[in-house]
Amino acid sequence: MLEGIATGFATAFTLANLGWVLFGCLAGTLIGMLPGLGPITAIALMIPVSYSLDPAGGLIMMAGVYYGAVFGGSTSAILINAPGVASTVATSFDGYPMARDGQGGRALAIAAYASFAGGTLGAVALMLFAGYLAGLALAFQSPEYTLLLLLALSSVVVLASPGTRLPSLVTLLIGLMLGTVGTDQLAGIPRFTFGRLDLADGLNFVLVVMATFALAEAFRMVLQDDAPASPSVSGSQLRLPLDTSRRLLPVVGRSSVIGFLTGVLPGAGATLASFFAYDVEKRMGDGSREAGVAAPEAANNAASTGSFVPLLTLGIPGSGTTAVLLGVMLSYGLQPGPRLLSDQPEIFWGVIVSMYLGNLILLALNLPLIPLLARLLNLPAPLLIPLIIGFSLVGVYLTTLNGFDLYLMLGLALLALVLRWFAFPLAPLLLGFILSGLLEENARRTLFIAEGGWSVLLERPAFVILGILILLVWLFPVWQRLRAAPRH
Amino acid sequence: MKLRRIASLALILALAPFHAAGTETVERLHLLIPAGPGGGLDTTARAIGEALRAAGVRSPVSYENMTGGGGGRAMAHFIETADRQTNTLLINSTPLIIRSLQGLFPHDHRDVVPIAGLVGEYGAFVVRNDSPLESWPSLITALEANTGALNIGGGSVRGSLDHIVLALAMEASGLDPRRVRYLPYDAGGKAMLALLGGEIEVLSTGIGEAVGYARSGDVRILAVTAPDRLAQLPEVPTLTELGAPLVFANWRGLFAAPGTSAAAAADFQSEVAAALATEAWRTAVDRFGWTPLALEGAAFGDYLDKQADVLESTLKALGFIR
Repeated sequence: MLEGIATGFATAFTLANLGWVLFGCLAGTLIGMLPGLGPITAIALMIPVSYSLDPAGGLIMMAGVYYGAVFGGSTSAILINAPGVASTVATSFDGYPMARDGQGGRALAIAAYASFAGGTLGAVALMLFAGYLAGLALAFQSPEYTLLLLLALSSVVVLASPGTRLPSLVTLLIGLMLGTVGTDQLAGIPRFTFGRLDLADGLNFVLVVMATFALAEAFRMVLQDDAPASPSVSGSQLRLPLDTSRRLLPVVGRSSVIGFLTGVLPGAGATLASFFAYDVEKRMGDGSREAGVAAPEAANNAASTGSFVPLLTLGIPGSGTTAVLLGVMLSYGLQPGPRLLSDQPEIFWGVIVSMYLGNLILLALNLPLIPLLARLLNLPAPLLIPLIIGFSLVGVYLTTLNGFDLYLMLGLALLALVLRWFAFPLAPLLLGFILSGLLEENARRTLFIAEGGWSVLLERPAFVILGILILLVWLFPVWQRLRAAPRH
Repeated sequence: MKLRRIASLALILALAPFHAAGTETVERLHLLIPAGPGGGLDTTARAIGEALRAAGVRSPVSYENMTGGGGGRAMAHFIETADRQTNTLLINSTPLIIRSLQGLFPHDHRDVVPIAGLVGEYGAFVVRNDSPLESWPSLITALEANTGALNIGGGSVRGSLDHIVLALAMEASGLDPRRVRYLPYDAGGKAMLALLGGEIEVLSTGIGEAVGYARSGDVRILAVTAPDRLAQLPEVPTLTELGAPLVFANWRGLFAAPGTSAAAAADFQSEVAAALATEAWRTAVDRFGWTPLALEGAAFGDYLDKQADVLESTLKALGFIR
């Protein structure tokens, strides 16, 4: 393995490849910052550039684009509540309130450091454990996915503060219902499309997130005449006080482990990971907003790295982004899979080493950018609000190039505004929407396999463990009440 | 203001490819792709575009990925704006016929002008390497004893390509395709993962998805739907030689807009023929393991009509259309 690492460093540390990883990070960050344009778009846009490079250089650049775009997405999530990628939704929960209180620079800095740590720890784990973890991806089949998704959905409702459990459940169900619009994933039958082709592929994620988060927030600012506070951001926000760093270190460590392991599972890896990490820190950690930003950021970067495990070892893309990367690899005549490591070690190790490099360069690149970015919030409200609205609409239009979607978006934004007015939390809605299709697909396959009986399922150890975890989550409120009762 | 400069730079960077797609001059070619970037259809479009450029018959070549409605949006757009699409070709594949038969969108392959069938991908039936199913006949024997005994998966929804190929093969082997347990996955890769992980016993997929895993020894291919044994898999028998006469390919081909004159269509055909003879195209075919189809104009149209008939009767037999 040491030999492999050396090969990797030799490949990555040529002047040209260093240049490409820098270029990739920069382009990825810029593209990812635009609401609506996430890593998939960023990588797809860079495909023509990659054709002119040799395989190692092209893949190294693409890894830079990937990390850059993931980080860029966090920027818009924190500053204007517009997470462009599902995996940065959790970042906006605490990141955006921090930005509103004039802590935008601090939040961005924490995001940058946490992303760096998560990505780097992920790369180490990938290097050490990639071979062993392929088995984890194989052990997780439809029944396990079903329960994992149920666990995520249950915890977002149950772990909400007691008063908001019912509203959370309501918006979660609305989200699950929104996710059923479009062509049925298993039977191919159109549902709730009203005969319109525009709805046949279901609601676009970017559309829903921009409508319910960014647009609804902009409308609320107008209605309540309440733009963010705008203290000037100085370089001092970038330096984390020693005690804060010491407090965040274990948070980042825990979240990276959660992130990497969840990321290995093909499917909604990075998104699930960021929600799990956020929940864990909110309930079991100190619950500070800093931890609320650090946890999902470390987790989603570690998960992005983890999603390379099934790609590199099994040749199976774990996410939309790695699917596009797989296309890039195939176009170079590379066949990712069990034989990549033995046939073309310089590619395998080159990509892994470029992950360290990508993370490092990303940090160096973005720290100086943060004060500039955070100054966005200094814009007066009459400028900032139209900017947010314009960016959200443009972002969605660029993704789908369909005018119908803009009306749909306005409709959803109004729905979100009404929900917020009556104090319904919107995060469960979004989570429900993101996971709805996956949950339904896996649940239906599970029922098909089980043929109406439990026996097949109960023989699967991971299924049983996840089942017990879900029961514990469901019993948590009962336990809370029992514990509280004697005091009253 | 620096921030605004960064934002506008980013915007220009993001908009550039879309802008390039919007303008047209005489000698350029625009390829409309009814699928997202990175997939098989997109790869084929970019390879043929590159070959057209290499052959010196078209330049520059631009690409537009228009997803939505299972390919229906691109089709509708192409037909509605036909008079502006004289320099545009649409790339499409077998699901075009399947989806229009199912009534998912109003148009079908007869609404556009067939130019050329470029490549075809044959179906393959795959088991894990350690599977007790040793050959296609042993699979059929197992299914004859109990049709519901095995879970057979595919990378697309019920009533679409992988399921139809499976149904055709079952029918050709004398089994009732409606009684076979078909488990759909939303992508070929996920279905392969389910096969490797043991959730399904047999996988119906395209050869391209399976060939790498067969070479690495993770899976065995029991049979293919090609007319003759394939050069890249000489040891794998065809269904025809196993006594189940079935030849079926998922084609990918180019179409011109409705109303294209016979002369303009003939020009397109000769340009594509020149592109298919280039080194660039042969390299791409090798690289991706495609099987060249090389069907021109009317011959491609007849091929599509025949396939549509076969697909229609299969979909009826399966109960997906009346």
